[in-house]
Amino acid sequence: MGFADADEVEKYLGGIFAEALADQEIGPKLRATGISLKTVYADPDVTLLIDLGAGQVTRVDESAESGAEMRMAADTGNSYWQGKVNLPLAMAKGKVKVSGDIASLLKLAPLTKKLVPAYVARLNADGRTDLLA
Amino acid sequence: MSGASMRPFDELDVSPLEFWSTTMEERDKTFSVLRRERPLSWHRPMQGGLLAPDIDGVWVATSHELIAEVSKKPEIYSSAQGINMEDLSEDIVEAASSMLGTDPPKHGSLRKVISSAFTPKRVSLIQEQIEGQAARIVDDLLKEKEGDFVKLVSKRLPMWTVFEMLGLEEELREETALHAEELVSWNDDDVAAGRQPMELLNGALVSLLTIGMEFAGRRRAEPKSDLMTALVQAEVDGRKLTDDEIGSFFVLLSVAGNDTTRNTTTIAARALQDFPVQRALLMEDFDGRIGGAIEEFVRWTSPVMSFRRTVTEDTVLGGHDLLKGDWVVMLYTSGNRDESVFVDPWKFDITRSPNPHQGFGGGGPHFCMGNFVAKMQLRAIFDQLLHRAPNLRVGDPDFLTGSFVRSVKSMPCTVD
Repeated sequence: MGFADADEVEKYLGGIFAEALADQEIGPKLRATGISLKTVYADPDVTLLIDLGAGQVTRVDESAESGAEMRMAADTGNSYWQGKVNLPLAMAKGKVKVSGDIASLLKLAPLTKKLVPAYVARLNADGRTDLLA
Repeated sequence: MSGASMRPFDELDVSPLEFWSTTMEERDKTFSVLRRERPLSWHRPMQGGLLAPDIDGVWVATSHELIAEVSKKPEIYSSAQGINMEDLSEDIVEAASSMLGTDPPKHGSLRKVISSAFTPKRVSLIQEQIEGQAARIVDDLLKEKEGDFVKLVSKRLPMWTVFEMLGLEEELREETALHAEELVSWNDDDVAAGRQPMELLNGALVSLLTIGMEFAGRRRAEPKSDLMTALVQAEVDGRKLTDDEIGSFFVLLSVAGNDTTRNTTTIAARALQDFPVQRALLMEDFDGRIGGAIEEFVRWTSPVMSFRRTVTEDTVLGGHDLLKGDWVVMLYTSGNRDESVFVDPWKFDITRSPNPHQGFGGGGPHFCMGNFVAKMQLRAIFDQLLHRAPNLRVGDPDFLTGSFVRSVKSMPCTVD
């Protein structure tokens, strides 16, 4: 089982960023990076713009401008937030494609790993065990 | 404030990149004081272009004894959280380090499967091939007569050996070696050529993983008699290597197999010129003395200058209380000049005996698995160079900036 539709992708894969931005420890660090990251998910298709500087997550058109871009299947995104995807290995296998300001994007990676427990907890709290990897 | 953040930093600062841009001789003036007076010292996090580390400081072990102690206690000093003085994400550690970045029991089981692919038959075949290739390299050097020693000689044999052994297609070798070099050069402006350190490192890593995994895929589909085929087929205790593990091991082998032997060849060639008495001694009885000489080449070079461990439980090292999560850096480059172990450590002495250098590590489970291949290559290339190019003259080496590998980017040479 995966995400049923774009709204679910936005709710969970966008939601984790919104939650992180609100976190007392991680939020300020994410904002300080000032990165605008476009995440383009496929199946279901949805594009989210994570503007860390402004602290906003919005659904946008795929052509929207951003500093860095990540493309992956929504399923891969779901696994990533559960700590099951190794970014360089996924990039080598073509499962995750990155472009733009890659250096800044990569510096985000260790911060995002800290969000794994919160993401898993949210899936559990919503009874979405079908999404657990 | 945590206990760690209240510790004062040592007055001798080994963290700035500038410190690692000087020569080994210059740096050892600092290490020598630390070894003798404070063999474990507390320093600011290493300066560098990667992640801003989430730590207050690092412990630096400079004595032979403490490096050995840390190396031999993997249950207390973990490799799984990173092996570099600078911070890297867990993903990068896992993808780039293979078994280097693992702890027991995972380390042992991975190493066992990988070792099973290095059969005695394969090893003896490698030896003959290395000797033939070393002769061809010196043939070419004698034709060229002058140029960059690294390009003409030192980088060729390790690159050829590691890729020939693996069975990597000829047309992919140059590119793979270039990425392997980039992977350890993130702090060097020349190599980075305008790229951000993290971008350089990740780009090189992803390229190597891609080449390695595609290569493994080709051997799965069509097995040959090479090491990659043996790796994809290897099975110990019902365990086979996953695609990710093979990709990661390919990265490790490409980097560790290329860089270390290349730099030892370059630096030892220069040492043999700087110490003509030692060279003459070696030539008096090459076969009898080359074994000991190679150990000294490795000690002298210290091709890997540092590795790091992370403390898994509160412990005591060198009289200091270490806390869980603390980083401990082992400076092999310092351990190999320890006055309490090596008499006159700055003397290049091919007859040094015993020579318990830490050039292949400080002992314990992570001791360099490829050391025998490195020794075969060094023996073969110096046999050829010293006997067939006796008038080889080399100039000053141009060193790479960084605290990880002691790498020479180029060194001019001529042969008459």
